[in-house]
Amino acid sequence: MALRASAQESGQQADLRVATGVASGDGNVPHGAFLCALAEAVARWRWDEVAELRRTGLDVLGAQETSDAILVASGFNGITRVADAIGIRLDQRTADASADFRDMTGISAFAPPEKWQVAGASP
Amino acid sequence: MDYADAELPVADGVAAAHGRTCAAFAQSGAWWSGADRLAIVADARTAPDCPLCAEKVEALSPHTVQGEHASAGVLPPIAVEAIHGVRNYSGRLTRGWFDDLIDMGLQPEAYVDLVSVTASSVIIDTYAQGIGLEPSPLPEPEPGNPSFERSEDVVDAGAWLPLKREGRANVVRSLGLVPSALKLFFDTFSPSYYMRPQTEFSISWAQVELVASRVSAVNECFY
Repeated sequence: MALRASAQESGQQADLRVATGVASGDGNVPHGAFLCALAEAVARWRWDEVAELRRTGLDVLGAQETSDAILVASGFNGITRVADAIGIRLDQRTADASADFRDMTGISAFAPPEKWQVAGASP
Repeated sequence: MDYADAELPVADGVAAAHGRTCAAFAQSGAWWSGADRLAIVADARTAPDCPLCAEKVEALSPHTVQGEHASAGVLPPIAVEAIHGVRNYSGRLTRGWFDDLIDMGLQPEAYVDLVSVTASSVIIDTYAQGIGLEPSPLPEPEPGNPSFERSEDVVDAGAWLPLKREGRANVVRSLGLVPSALKLFFDTFSPSYYMRPQTEFSISWAQVELVASRVSAVNECFY
């Protein structure tokens, strides 16, 4: 994930911990708290909650923006399943791009070490 | 794909891509017929209400809970186990679970094809329901036999299955054992991320990455 790089591009320092719920608030990303709530409701298929957030999204984000956020969440609901179902390991490119994010959030704890240690690297 | 009644606007490219995916479900793939692939989608749709999966999700280890999944009964139980695992507890899948499927007779290439169809259906069904619609009706199956395609352009990269030899990241190589399965999935996924240079969103890059990261965390995906 390139969250830190993208946030720096906008001149702000994102608090990456909001993505994993370690920290709350917007994380210096515009409407970050709302987007996290929407992403989680979509990923968990809580449709009543999504319907409420959709209505809120019209006011705080806009219609196309809310639709795009749901589209991104839907895509990642699929690709995370592919990654887990094939048992892929972390590659160097992804490890480099996400190193700071992993350090800050502890996301590697979601899988055993043989998955998140870079393939070919010593444990 | 008919998104005309959605509560939110849908980009033409998204509707077109999802429509192509839905049509592809009805066509014979590499290892499953069109009827089989539609049955995979149908079982993925019923999986959220599966009582056995509910027990598995609550268990300390989902693999210690035995029983029969709720299913339309078209596919063999081993395929239903794979579909429900991918759909309902993908973050808790283990190498042992995968090895058991293969030991019980599921061909690795058929598994790759099944994962592609299941995960693609998760994308389009999640999006449809997310924008206030029911999942799209499925088309009628088209005649034809599976091609039994298997790529030799693969390499052991430490995953449960060989990955495509070349690729920017392992996830992009992940379905490479069956090229048509890889194409189906990434044709479905591409509108949801910056997979193509012309991809544009109305939300910022930081917002896209935040949503993606949150979903990965919810799904307990380390990647």
